[in-house]
Amino acid sequence: MNLATYARRNLFRRRGRTILTMAAVMICVLILCLLRTVVVAWNAGADAAATDRLATRHKVSITMQLPQRYIEELRQVPGVKAATWANWFGAKDPKERVPFFAGFAVDHNTWFDVQDEMLVPPDQLAAWKQTPNGAILGDVLAKTLAVKVGDRVVITSDIYPGDWQFQVSGIYTPLRKSVDRNTFVFRWDFLNNDPRAVYSKDHLGWMVSRVTDSARSADISRQIDAKFDIHEDQTLTMTERAFALSFLGGFAAILRAFDLVSLVILLIMTLILANTVAMAVRERTHEYGVLRAIGFPPGYIRGFILGESVLVAVVGGLIGVAFVYLVINKMVGPALEENMSGLFPYFRAPASVLIGALVAATGLGIVAAIVPAMRASRLKVTDALRRVD
Amino acid sequence: MVPLRYNARSLLVRKITTLATALGIALVVFVFAGALMFNAGVTHALATAGRADTAMILRKGSDAELTSAIGNDYLGLFRGPSQVSQAGGMIGEIIVVVTADHADGSGVSNVLVRGTPTNGIAFRPEIKITRGRAPTPGTNEAIVGQSIAGRFTGMTTGGSFNLRRNSPLTIVGEFSAGGSSYESEVWSDLDYVRNSLGRQAVVSSARVRLNSPADFDAYRLAIETDKRFSMKVMRESDYYEKQSQQTAGFFTGMGLALAIMTSIAAMIGAAITMNGAIAHRSREIGTLRALGFSRRAILTSFLIEALLLAVAGGVIGSIAVLSLTLISVPLINFVTFSEIVIRFHATPGVFIAALIFSGGMGLLGGLVPAIRASRVSPIEAMRG
Repeated sequence: MNLATYARRNLFRRRGRTILTMAAVMICVLILCLLRTVVVAWNAGADAAATDRLATRHKVSITMQLPQRYIEELRQVPGVKAATWANWFGAKDPKERVPFFAGFAVDHNTWFDVQDEMLVPPDQLAAWKQTPNGAILGDVLAKTLAVKVGDRVVITSDIYPGDWQFQVSGIYTPLRKSVDRNTFVFRWDFLNNDPRAVYSKDHLGWMVSRVTDSARSADISRQIDAKFDIHEDQTLTMTERAFALSFLGGFAAILRAFDLVSLVILLIMTLILANTVAMAVRERTHEYGVLRAIGFPPGYIRGFILGESVLVAVVGGLIGVAFVYLVINKMVGPALEENMSGLFPYFRAPASVLIGALVAATGLGIVAAIVPAMRASRLKVTDALRRVD
Repeated sequence: MVPLRYNARSLLVRKITTLATALGIALVVFVFAGALMFNAGVTHALATAGRADTAMILRKGSDAELTSAIGNDYLGLFRGPSQVSQAGGMIGEIIVVVTADHADGSGVSNVLVRGTPTNGIAFRPEIKITRGRAPTPGTNEAIVGQSIAGRFTGMTTGGSFNLRRNSPLTIVGEFSAGGSSYESEVWSDLDYVRNSLGRQAVVSSARVRLNSPADFDAYRLAIETDKRFSMKVMRESDYYEKQSQQTAGFFTGMGLALAIMTSIAAMIGAAITMNGAIAHRSREIGTLRALGFSRRAILTSFLIEALLLAVAGGVIGSIAVLSLTLISVPLINFVTFSEIVIRFHATPGVFIAALIFSGGMGLLGGLVPAIRASRVSPIEAMRG
């Protein structure tokens, strides 16, 4: 019998405890990866957003609108290549199949030129321009509402009273992962001509512009706001992503909470590993005395204790990471990407998260064992042998 | 039954193991109770804003004040039904969400500005001016809720900010509102606010004080069936209740989901500890059995030991989580898109739930080990 055999047999001397500890490490790794993946996915959304697009809104309030003539003035700002606009419709599905989706009244002549990552087949786009009450839906939304091109669809609004009848002119598909596939757009002139929209008559919700050089977007933003500064309705221009996020401000707070919970998970993992090590060392102190008495140096004792703890942590971590790969990357991720593509265009646990979790588990395996290992190796042989625990 | 002291002493003998396990449970309870306290904070802020004897009237189809608009001419008609309290009366208000810069330079957020009529402050007896004075009706003077006073540029006593170009609001005081979400709003004069917005003839919503909460259903029927207009009537308390669910539900749900997931790890920790305790004490258990304690007594005894261990963790976690009451966090109200400041709110219910949750972890984690203990054969165990 050599030392490796001794170590291997020790590992499964208390089989139940070893398996339970591995299971606990596995669960901690799983939760840790999940939390970190959300953080990474959130930041990935920021990276995937178009950087050459700016949103211009009313400076005072998100609910205030801009005069229609602003769009022409915006198009004259140097560096602005193209511009379009939209009004928030507060769309709701009367049958409540979707809890929430974005509904915009948009300019049918320019919207899809600026939002060119929403791909609409040319014939559908042409048909839409001929259909005053035509609407174009994201592919996921069309599936949920069970409509296809040519169908009628009734939408209600939080802002404008009554039922609104639309005809589905087209269905857009995303060219980029960051595109929300649950958006409903229809023609702004249809809304503007309706007597129910008298309060927003000839007004724009916000304007979206595409700039020639995305590196200059901060500069162009300032120029846009300066242009409207002399008017009664002043503007606030920001990147399209920042604009979208201003409606989801609470989400940043969640990410901070996630950091705290990640720390809690790491602490729990350490406590469980330390407990297992402490129990094992207590049971085996007598044996360590024997090993020392027959001539093994203290380093071996340290090695046994540290090695066993790290091994348990690594095996548990590996199983956890494998599980994460299966659950997040194969099941949860694809589902989230389809349904919440606006928030999480790419929801997969990246290698950095998986490796990070494994490194954390290994490191904590060492941390948990270091004190018991030092103490056991320093124990006097006679004291250890006297221990009958 | 095996005396409780036996369990308590057994736990105390194995200090490190007991402490490690209890701390693990304490951490889970911290997350769990933190989520509940957050939820209680949102509920407290929003629920205390609404009263059961007040009817809130919005345009039919609107779910929130922000998207509702009611013509001025209708306001008088809302006072018609006999359920309306003559003393309490009615107010029509306008709501606007304005962009404001954080005073610490951390970016922009949205703040809710409420244009309220002369009797608007008196309509809500909980409003107290805590600094400065009440605004003079008909002017551009405003007061700011104490939760957000100083958080945003210009929103502090003596400060001012623009409602529109050349339409400034001047802050003349701060107010408290019993901890409700009104404390995260700015209040000014109804006519000044709506003139600035160019919406002279409308209000966002109307609130009507009824003779008693029981009159609500009759009043609602009277207004909603009135053919002259198309309105939606809600109990004010229900309106805010719904808002708090929409706002807090997502965050609370996520916090509880995390707590439940981490609790699995903590339960395994408890199981490891109890397993170890039982393996270690099999001779003792054998002796107890030989002395005449039944299997059931042994099972109960070890379950109680696991429970004690877990509840000790629960108590530590509950004490630690109290520190959260010192901090307040900004939150976006999902209905108004405006920022409200939430304080973690400690209620007895939170701590009862936390202790039950920790006890549950102990019982579940300790169950299998306790069953094993109860099956120990006295003869074999005592033989060693």
